This record gives sequence, C-alpha cells and structure tokens, in this order.
Amino acid sequence: MPAKEALKKAFPVILLTVVVAVSVTLLTFTDRLTREKIEYQREQKIHRMLFEIFPNMSQYTLENDIYTIYSDGAKVGYAFIAIGKGYGGKIDILVGLEDETMIKGINIVSHLETPGLGARITESPFTNQFTGLDIANVALRQDGGQIDAITGATRSSRAVIEAVRTTAMEKVKLLKDSEEGE
Amino acid sequence: MGKFGKEFAKGLIISNPVLVLALGLCPTLAITTSIDNALGMTLVVLVVLVGSSTIIAAIRNFVPSIMRIPIFIVIIASLVTVMDLIFQANFPDLHVSLGIFLPLVVVNCIILARAEVFASKNPILHSIADALGITVGFMLALLMISSIRQILGTGSLSVFGFDFFTLPVLGKYPIAMFILPPGAFLIIGLLMALFRWRGVMKSE
Repeated sequence: MPAKEALKKAFPVILLTVVVAVSVTLLTFTDRLTREKIEYQREQKIHRMLFEIFPNMSQYTLENDIYTIYSDGAKVGYAFIAIGKGYGGKIDILVGLEDETMIKGINIVSHLETPGLGARITESPFTNQFTGLDIANVALRQDGGQIDAITGATRSSRAVIEAVRTTAMEKVKLLKDSEEGE
Repeated sequence: MGKFGKEFAKGLIISNPVLVLALGLCPTLAITTSIDNALGMTLVVLVVLVGSSTIIAAIRNFVPSIMRIPIFIVIIASLVTVMDLIFQANFPDLHVSLGIFLPLVVVNCIILARAEVFASKNPILHSIADALGITVGFMLALLMISSIRQILGTGSLSVFGFDFFTLPVLGKYPIAMFILPPGAFLIIGLLMALFRWRGVMKSE
C-alpha cells in the first residue's frame, strides 16, 4: 500500500516533468529549424544598417568581429556590435567609426526596452547625437559628456552610451595593435 | 446549429473577448495601430489558443486541480515561444512591430481564461470550437479597431504593402491622435458601447 500511496503523491511531480520534457523537445526542435533563418535575417539587418551609417559603402569585410568598410576600394571606416545592459535586457548596437577617434553613426540592432520609454533609443533624435562625436566625449551631459538622455529613460540611454564608449575604446585598441603588428 | 457551431458562434459577438468580456485589452490597445499588426497578432493567438485548448482538453482528466496553472502556463509559454521564433525567422518586420507584445501573449488573459473556464472542463472538439470562435471574435475586434485607427490616423488603407485607397483630405492632413494611445481608448470605448447596446437590445 505505501508504494501506491507514494506514487499517488508523486503523480503531480511526474506529470509536470513529462509536460516540461515534451515542451523542451518541441522548443529545441523549433530552435533548430529557425536558427539559421534568424541568423540570416540579422545579417541582412546589419547589412542594411551599415548602409545607413556609410551610404557610400561598396563592400565590407568582417574580421575579429570588426567590420571594415570600403568605398570603391578605399577604406572609409570601421563598424562593430556593442552590447549594452538595458532595463529590459540585452541591447545590440551597431557602431560605425569614421577613423580611430570619431564616431560616424550608431544604429540599434535589437533591444527589449519598454515601448514608449526606453524603446525610444532606436529613434533618430537620440542616435543622431552620436554622429561626429569623439569617442572620449560619448557620455551623458550630466556625466560631463555631450549626449542628452531620453526623458524618463536615463537607464536605457546610459546603457547604450556606456556600451558604445567602452566597446569603441576596446576595438580601437585592437585596431591599433593589429596595425602595429603588420 | 450543432453544439460545435454554438460554441463557435458565441465568441463572435455575445461574448466577444475584447469588446464584451473586456479581456486582453493591453495588447489590443497597443498593437492596433495598423491592420498588419492586427492580422499578425491574430495569427499568433489562433495558433496558441487552438493549440493550448486542444492539449488542455486532451489531458484535462489527468491534471490534478492544484497542478493545473503551472501545467497550463508551460503549455502556453512553449507555444508562444515557438510562434516567436517562427515570426523572428519568417516575418522580421512584423516581429519588430509586435515587439514585446508577442512574447507577452503568454500572460494574455484571453488564452488563460479559455484554458481555465472552458478547455479544462470540456471535450476536445468543443474546446477547439470555442477557441476558434474566440479567435475570430478577437480578430473582428482587432480589425475593427485597427482599420478605424489606420484610416483616421494615416488617411489611407494599406495591408501588407497593398494600398487600397487614400482619402482626399485626410491623406494630406491625417489625425495623428488616432494612431497614438488616446485614439485607441476612444475607438475601443465607442465599439464597446456599440456591442453592449446591441447585446442589450437582443436580450430584451
């Protein structure tokens, strides 16, 4: 009898385990089916956004996560993805550099910020502020920089700014190192 | 009309999920800025609601009542994630414009309410009929709200890139308020009043 009793008590646990197992299988399967296509869509989007930042781009190469942008064979800039920690989650930012000190433009690739507040980081009044800035000046106005935060979304704004500045500094260092190595 | 037809028909007007039961208002208000969004949302709800109702009706006799909410949520969340991935892969623009409201279908009260009130107590076929009826009712509400908002707010009607018409004066001077949140509240309020009024007339 105790065995039967124990089974009865354990039944809800077993049931939930089975339901979760089935759901995990389903999700893994869907992930396998869609992963390649999602990756492709993301590449297309980055390609489009690179064009927005470098309208004269004719081709680009990707090496060590840095895009080098060419226009008719001449190097016109670099681009890379910076990842910020936003209010709602990860923010992927495409940053274009004119040379090793100046920002050419930024574009938000993906984010999970609140619609109407943090999500306004994608809008041009915010992103245009980065264009032409020296990397060292990428900071909020209240932190001594030149960028105005979005009203009511200081945290999202700061996440983008910090990610752009720190990643830009890292990448510029990488670029300089690799040039010295050549 | 058989039982199947009756379960289906009640979702359209008499217990329209949005305009009579006032369920799922958050996504409704947020995404009805265009007909494209309304149709995308309907597709997600169709798959998730029919899927979850079928599964929940099929296992209803095994699920102890204390375990039902976690089990329902796992089932609904899995289906929503599947739809989220499919949309991300195949309709990236729609995925961006539905934004956070696509994953939030997990906690959409229309779906949980149908699982709790109907699918967990009725046979599979009736649950499917109920789910389909509710989905069509949801679609009707979304289409009514979004087409009014789109026409008044942009002055033209276009669905997935096909332009149907542009109004002469509104096309040039659209009333942007209708695309913004106040327009959503205004239109949904007026439509609710209309449905309530028709419902009262019928019951008398």
